[in-house]
Amino acid sequence: MNEFLTAMVGLVLVLLALGLVRVLRGPGDADRMMAAQLIGTCGIAALLLIGVIGGTSAAIDVALVLALLATFAAAAFAECARRATQPETLPETERP
Amino acid sequence: MTIVPALDLFVAGIVLIVAVWTVAARDTMSAVVGFVAYGLLLALVWVRLGAPDVALTEAAIGSGLAGALLIGAATRLRAGEPSVSTERLGGAGRVLAMTLSAVVAAAVAVVLLSLPDPAPSLASEAAANAGVTSLGNPVTNVLMAFRAMDTMLEKVVLLLALLGVWSMARDHAWGGRPRSCRRADPEGPLVLLARVLPPVGVVLGISVLWVSADHPGGAFQGATILAAMWLLVLMAGLGDVPAAGGRRLRLVLVAGPAVFLTVGLGGLALGAAFLSYPPAWAKPVILVIEFAMVLTVATTLGLLVAGPPERSAER
Repeated sequence: MNEFLTAMVGLVLVLLALGLVRVLRGPGDADRMMAAQLIGTCGIAALLLIGVIGGTSAAIDVALVLALLATFAAAAFAECARRATQPETLPETERP
Repeated sequence: MTIVPALDLFVAGIVLIVAVWTVAARDTMSAVVGFVAYGLLLALVWVRLGAPDVALTEAAIGSGLAGALLIGAATRLRAGEPSVSTERLGGAGRVLAMTLSAVVAAAVAVVLLSLPDPAPSLASEAAANAGVTSLGNPVTNVLMAFRAMDTMLEKVVLLLALLGVWSMARDHAWGGRPRSCRRADPEGPLVLLARVLPPVGVVLGISVLWVSADHPGGAFQGATILAAMWLLVLMAGLGDVPAAGGRRLRLVLVAGPAVFLTVGLGGLALGAAFLSYPPAWAKPVILVIEFAMVLTVATTLGLLVAGPPERSAER
C-alpha cells in the first residue's frame, strides 16, 4: 500500500512541476497566480499522502493551514487586481 | 527503496528553480507570485526534514500573510514600475556589482567552511531538561521556557513594526483608520468566502495554539491564521478596521507583552530569576501567556497588513 501511495506522491509532484511551468512562463499575472494555487493544491495532496504514509498527523495540520492560507492569498490577489482595474473613491488624503 | 530519495531530490530541485527565478524576475508581481509558490514548496520541504513546527510557520507566514502583504505592495508600486525597471547599469557599474557579489559570496563561503564541526548545540541539554515544564513539544519548551526572553522581545519587535507603519500616516489621519475596502458585491464570491472560511479558520487557529503544548503548533502560527481570517472579513467589507487611536485596540496590542512581563517580574520577585516559572505551574502559566499573546499577535499582524491610517477616526 505504501509503495502505491509513494508512487502517487511522485505523480502529484510531476503535476506540481507542470504547474511550475505556467508560473515561470506566465504570461499574465492571473495565470501565474492560478498556477501558484495549483502548486498549493498539489503540495496539500503531497502533504496528506506523506502524512498517511508516515503516520504523522502534523503533516495533515500543515496541509490544513496551507489550504486556508493559500485561499487567503488568492483572495488578496483577486481583491488587489480588482482594485487596480476599478479605481475606487480616492482616500481622504488625496482629496483637495 | 530508492524512490523516496529521488522524490526528495526532485522537490529540492524545484525549490531551487523557483528561488532563482523569483530573484531574477523583472516584474514585481511575477516575483511575488514566485515567492508565494516558493513558500508553499518550502512548507513541503520542512515536513520532509522532520520540522513540522517550521513548516506550519512557513505555510502561515511565508506563503499566506507575507504573500498578501507583498501582493498589496506590488499593486501599489505598479504605477511607478516602468521608469525604474528600464534603468540599466553601465559597463563599469556591472563589473563593480559582479566583483562585489563575488566577494560577498566568497566571504560567506569562507565563514561557512570554517564553522566548527560538529556545530555547537544546546539541543541535548534542552532535550535532557524537557521534563521540567511538563510540555510534550520540545519546540514550545524552548520558545516559551528556555528562551522565553527572546520570545517576549519578539512580541515587542512586532509592536515596534506596527508603530513604524502607523508613523507613515499623515498628520490629519493620525489615530485614524487605514484605507477603506470598497464594499464588495454582497452576492459576490469574496463575501461568500469571507462568511464561510473564517469559522473554519478560527477553529483551526485556536487548535494550532492549543495542541502546541504537546504537538507541533504554536501561538504565532495560530495568531497568523486568525489574522488572515480577520483580513478576509475586512477585504470583503463586512467589518471595519478599528481606529489606531482607540483605547480598546491599544489595550489589546499591549496585552500580550504586558502579561509576559508581569509573569517575568513575578518570577523575579517570587522565584529564582526573571521569567522563571514555578515548576508545578509551568504549563498553566505558559498557556496563559500564549493565549494573551495570540490575541496581541493576531491583531498586530492584521493591522500591519491593513497599512497606515489614511482616514480620520470618524466613520
